[in-house]
Amino acid sequence: MKNHKQHRRIFLVLALVLGMSALFAADYSGEQVMWEVYNRDSGDTMRANLIMTLTNARGSVRERSIVQYRMDKEGVESKLMFFLSPNDVRNTSFLSLSYEDGRSDAQYIYLPALKRVKRIASDSKNDSFMGSDFTYDDMGSRHPDLDTHTVLRKELIQEKSTLVVESIAKGDEDYPRTLSWVVEGEWFGLKKEFYRQDGTLGRTLSIEAFEEVDGIYVITDMIMKDWEKQTSTRIQMKEVAFNLDFDDNFFTERQMKIGPRG
Amino acid sequence: MNIRQKTFVVFLFLVLAVLPAIPANSTFSGMVRDYAAVRLESLDMPVHEQTMDAFYEHSTDMGKLTLHPVVYSNPNKALQLNLAEAYFDFYLENADVRVGKQKVIWGEAEGAFITDLVSPRDMRSFILADFSEIRKAVPAIKVDYYAGPYTMQGIWVTHFIPTSLPASNSMWAQTPTLPFPPAITSVSFTDSAMPETTLENSEFFLSLGRFGNAVSWKLNGGYVFTDEPLASEVTAPDPATRVISQRYERYSFIGGSFNTALGGLVLRGETALALDKPMNSLDTSKNPPITIEKHTQVQALVGLDWNMLGSQWSTQYLMVYTHDHTASLVSQMKPVKEFAHTFTFRMQDTFFDEQLTVRLFTYIEVEPLNTLLRPSISYNFGNGVLLEGGLDVFLGDKDGTFGTYASNSLAWAALRWYF
Repeated sequence: MKNHKQHRRIFLVLALVLGMSALFAADYSGEQVMWEVYNRDSGDTMRANLIMTLTNARGSVRERSIVQYRMDKEGVESKLMFFLSPNDVRNTSFLSLSYEDGRSDAQYIYLPALKRVKRIASDSKNDSFMGSDFTYDDMGSRHPDLDTHTVLRKELIQEKSTLVVESIAKGDEDYPRTLSWVVEGEWFGLKKEFYRQDGTLGRTLSIEAFEEVDGIYVITDMIMKDWEKQTSTRIQMKEVAFNLDFDDNFFTERQMKIGPRG
Repeated sequence: MNIRQKTFVVFLFLVLAVLPAIPANSTFSGMVRDYAAVRLESLDMPVHEQTMDAFYEHSTDMGKLTLHPVVYSNPNKALQLNLAEAYFDFYLENADVRVGKQKVIWGEAEGAFITDLVSPRDMRSFILADFSEIRKAVPAIKVDYYAGPYTMQGIWVTHFIPTSLPASNSMWAQTPTLPFPPAITSVSFTDSAMPETTLENSEFFLSLGRFGNAVSWKLNGGYVFTDEPLASEVTAPDPATRVISQRYERYSFIGGSFNTALGGLVLRGETALALDKPMNSLDTSKNPPITIEKHTQVQALVGLDWNMLGSQWSTQYLMVYTHDHTASLVSQMKPVKEFAHTFTFRMQDTFFDEQLTVRLFTYIEVEPLNTLLRPSISYNFGNGVLLEGGLDVFLGDKDGTFGTYASNSLAWAALRWYF
């Protein structure tokens, strides 16, 4: 009898907590949360060194080194990446231009052996980025209008209060449903789960470390795990700097050929 | 291992030994490759070469020095050390200036040369381990001026450099069939006469381009020499002998190229109008039997690139039209058609986290129907080590660009190490 009463009390407390969470979560719509994430201050410009570590199903490891530059200006997010290693891709550069107004991304690759900048088909957003578990879409900021968003609940992760947002893709996607754990008030994600079309969990993005640089939260260590292939990719960001001055010719064909120097 | 290969290995170790001494503001990188090919018909091994392709770059406050030495070691040839490129880049606020021996690549065509006429070609092997090796550097001063999304480029090629053609004893040499009467038992070509090194004999190129998100385009033009020689005169030292002398002729061209995205497709285009392009006319019933005529020629290409089923796909259509065409027109002693049509097709897919790459590249010439099929596969072990293998299969009519090499179909393998 005492046990039964205790169970009822626990149930009531749980219901109260969940109810309050739901009430609290309801302060924000899913769209509001994801627009906050999209519009979060991430600096008008940024430079960082990326170390990408790929681990395959057998546990063998390959490492790639990239220097990345980003600029947000007049509704366009320009991103320029130079591959420093491995040696067979050194000096290859990749430029992507993403538009706030929802236009398709423009993507270019510079192949140093051919001395040629090529426009590449930009519907490759679901394709693997450099053989990693990240897609091209993961490497950019996904426009909130591409999905419908619902706040499901509130959870505590890494001592941070997060809102769990379910996003359902409006178009055809490899992962039509995702769950994002977004830090309330700071509006950066701490975890993301990608569900396949059959509803099973395909990939999980977990944030291992983040830090505040110049008042901006930066994810400095993240791991994408592919549950089907049993592979994972870790991206560590080092020497992050914000609000640098890039001249007008930086995110262009010219700089792709010149390289990170000059 | 013969003496040349030993020399190559010793040279390689010497280069690697000095790597730690490279200054902090310099980089030394490159590739070592062992490439062997077996002819499918005769099962001989006409190619087994070792290559070291290196880049030394030294950055200063003024700009960057680039040296690009290449060493080839082949059992049947002398060790070749070639400074493929040597130039200095000056980076100014709104302009870049490159001075020295350099390769310049223009246009949107893959595996075809339409406005891409600044750097001549190295056709000595016809089929190369790397397509990037097909271009020869030219001594030039190149200036790029930037104004927002627009780029103006001017190039002055101070000394004309011709395309390198296969030696007469090469498996890629073509023996022209000249319709001289049977009484003429010996026909030979003299070495091509090189133009004198004068300002007048320089080549000039100009380009205006816009790098745009919707459409990127370039307008190009140039005043150039024919990269391959033309037969200029026929002499008869005796009644049974004809000696054909060769020289390079000048012409000008204008053209342009563009690329744009159409949904998930990339559309590319390129065209060039060669004005009064010198060509040979061969008619042995006339005297002289070989003359140089000038014809306007149009080349146009349209290409599409797209992703499908996780693979990259590309196709191109190239058309060449020769105005005022006559049946006697020849290029390198092969008939020139009024209209010539070529298709290319490329597919590439990767597996096992991009470690395994499968490729197919195909040229198809429509008339006469002949083709080159180039399937290949490569495995990337990581740390810059790649193992590759493939086939170069020539099929179709013997009068075609590719069908003529039907007996040269190859199977090849290569091991590369990028350092």
